[in-house]
Amino acid sequence: MPECPACHAPLETPLACGACGALIEVEGESDPFALFGLARGWELDAGELKKRLLRFGRMMHPDFYAAAGDAARELAERNTAALNEAHDVLANDFRRADWLVRALGGPTESDERQMPQAFLMDVLDWNETLDDARGAAPGSAEIRALDELGETLSSERGEAFVRIGALLTPLPDPGSDALGRLRRELNAVRYLDRALRELKSLRLQHASTR
Amino acid sequence: MGYIELNVLNNETTTVAMGIDLGTTNSLAALWQDGRPVVIKPDGKNGKIPSVVQFPGPNAIPLVGGKALEQAVVDPRNTIFSIKRLMGRGLADVQDDLAAFPFPVTENVRGLLQIDVHGKPMTPQEISSLILMRVHDLACRAMSGNEVVKAVITVPAYFDEPQRQATRDAARLAGIEVLRIINEPTAASLAYGLDRRGEGTVVVYDLGGGTFDVSVLRIEDGVFRVLATSGDTHLGGDDLDRALIDMIRGELSEQLGPDELNDPAFLQAAKLAAEKCKVELSAHPRADLHLMVPDRRVSFRRTISREDFEAAIAPLVERTLDACRLALSDAGLTNSDIDEVVMVGGSTRVPAVLKRVEEFFGRKPHTELNPDEVVALGAAVQAHVLTGGNRDILLMDVIPLSLGLETMGGAVDKLITRNSTIPCQSTEGFTTHVDNQTGIDFNVVQGERELASDCRSLGRFKLTGIPPMPAGMPKIAVRFHVDADGLLTVSAKDESSGATASIEIQPMHGLTDAEVEGMLEASFANAQADFDARRVVDLKAELETMLRVTEKHLTTAREHLDPESLTDLEDAVRSGKHAMTLNDPREIQTVRDGFERATLPLAALLMDSVAKSALAGKKLDEV
Ligand SMILES: [Zn+2]
Repeated sequence: MPECPACHAPLETPLACGACGALIEVEGESDPFALFGLARGWELDAGELKKRLLRFGRMMHPDFYAAAGDAARELAERNTAALNEAHDVLANDFRRADWLVRALGGPTESDERQMPQAFLMDVLDWNETLDDARGAAPGSAEIRALDELGETLSSERGEAFVRIGALLTPLPDPGSDALGRLRRELNAVRYLDRALRELKSLRLQHASTR
Repeated sequence: MGYIELNVLNNETTTVAMGIDLGTTNSLAALWQDGRPVVIKPDGKNGKIPSVVQFPGPNAIPLVGGKALEQAVVDPRNTIFSIKRLMGRGLADVQDDLAAFPFPVTENVRGLLQIDVHGKPMTPQEISSLILMRVHDLACRAMSGNEVVKAVITVPAYFDEPQRQATRDAARLAGIEVLRIINEPTAASLAYGLDRRGEGTVVVYDLGGGTFDVSVLRIEDGVFRVLATSGDTHLGGDDLDRALIDMIRGELSEQLGPDELNDPAFLQAAKLAAEKCKVELSAHPRADLHLMVPDRRVSFRRTISREDFEAAIAPLVERTLDACRLALSDAGLTNSDIDEVVMVGGSTRVPAVLKRVEEFFGRKPHTELNPDEVVALGAAVQAHVLTGGNRDILLMDVIPLSLGLETMGGAVDKLITRNSTIPCQSTEGFTTHVDNQTGIDFNVVQGERELASDCRSLGRFKLTGIPPMPAGMPKIAVRFHVDADGLLTVSAKDESSGATASIEIQPMHGLTDAEVEGMLEASFANAQADFDARRVVDLKAELETMLRVTEKHLTTAREHLDPESLTDLEDAVRSGKHAMTLNDPREIQTVRDGFERATLPLAALLMDSVAKSALAGKKLDEV
């Protein structure tokens, strides 16, 4: 465990010391697991993550440095921003998986463009259902079809993350085939999420015109 | 002559921070005193300062607040109201408002809104700064000598980056250091101490004079997150009054012509009558709606029951509930998920509003605090936290809209997504598209839409100085940092050369740093000019009296003064008359001082004369 440069107490986060309250300048550390003092891995205790966010947030939030000098205030801004950025990556299943695949040297989104034919046919089906619902009358078959589509998309998304979790537990070796499979799964989630976003905005439009 | 009081026991001025609710219709400030936030109420009044500025003439000192509001009917052209609607906006954004403004609003080449005031263009930031100065002034007086130069200012949760930046610039122009800009609904929740509940979901229902906002907030362990906001920027207490005004106009339409019914003075009188009736109906089951038009010998009187009024405003209340439904749906929640409802804004005192909101959410809304004061009180709580007073509350506000960069194809690459907790940051890599490209243009956008053209452009910047390389080789890291006020800074680094680009974004609809500096200098110069102008007037008045008295005694002087003193005196009279045509206070002061010296022999002479005893101890101009 790293120690505080000021008081040598062990550090829970490299951004600040819980013992003496020192803010610590961190150059180029972007590993969200390291910033939260957590072991790198897919499984994450959401409660523990939130507890740490609040505990660490109280150590370094700029609100508590509003009366301090410019340098301390800016460091508080930067470190809290780094903490929040790391939290956003860890708390989001997609972003956490995406970060792990990148960190293990796996392919990026654009490296792995090919999607299976069957999946692309599904995507076309969803788009058709969404297009039909656009401008359809409330209560019509087209609108009712949205509910079914919503369930399909959500359950497919859940299944995709079960597979992603399995591929990431334990973490695959750098260069392993699993990384390519992971990237394809993540790309499929992107399609699912886009369709879910459109579905939500369609529903909102219906709610507001009611 | 006044006395300067010195408190020798406590002569240190302490810096106090205030919370300011800078509203569309009214503004007010609160301070932390004796362990709780207190609204500043100068002269024992309610503390609300109408957000209105009136400019009496090209160089006259502007009126702010109640005095300005009184001029709205007399001088609508130069009485500026609802300036908050124009903050950080472009002309295309405010089309709906323009029709209601009796003053002309234009856009300059930079996309900055301007209001022509006696031939001088003024930005919304400058006009807002006048309101803030007034608020600041009252706060300083309330603290009797303690310096209040720091403030927490509230903005609506939906305010985007340019609107927040414009608010900050207005404060800077007013000489106020902004400790933090926080969201109005968050402030309202802080005022009620809702941070103390472990977790819960809160709806803040804010029906102001001219706007309606509803926000859904999630509170977990002292962390506030805005989940969704909705509202109607043109629905408020004024519309409730209008329901009663329409009643009067309908009834009087047979006796008065359309010109008379639309006459500003008639409308103002009708509005006052409607307001009075509305306020009475909040306390009593029935009230008189009474209006007299003396010059037409027309009068209107009717007893309005609460039921009549409720029926008249029911469609308006339903519109607010539609916005609530939308906000809940956006947050993925239903009415039953809501743990607390907080009422903000004077119009929430109307029993019909309260009743319908209670029915809709199935729980009693919070009304313990004055709904006009809640936001300012919450801002003062946060000001107390920020000046080191309290470490138990930690406000983690979120950014209301996503921030990103326009990509080659015109799409948006989101770097920071909406509802991210602030401060936050994000870095994204970019590269060149053609060989030996040494610069990249970036367009920074804010919004949720997929296409950059559908989002709001915050500004553009160009990254230059990339070493010539084949396309795709350079690695440019663009970093967005959103600070705790929700304000964005962008930095870029060429990782191949290690060079950092300093980026100055030309803000759209906003002021550049240089412009703010320029306005500050101009306002100092103006303050000097105002001061000089007053001194010139005072000096000339003094000089005129001295001239009049001297001329009155000139015969005596010619008879009895020695030739040298007489020449001096006659010279002084000549230069004194000339000085009456001058405008430089320093020159006039020199002449006045010389004049006084030249009149000394005459004064001595007059004192030696018969009236010597009676004149003893008097100056020349008192003779
Ligand atoms: Zn330490």
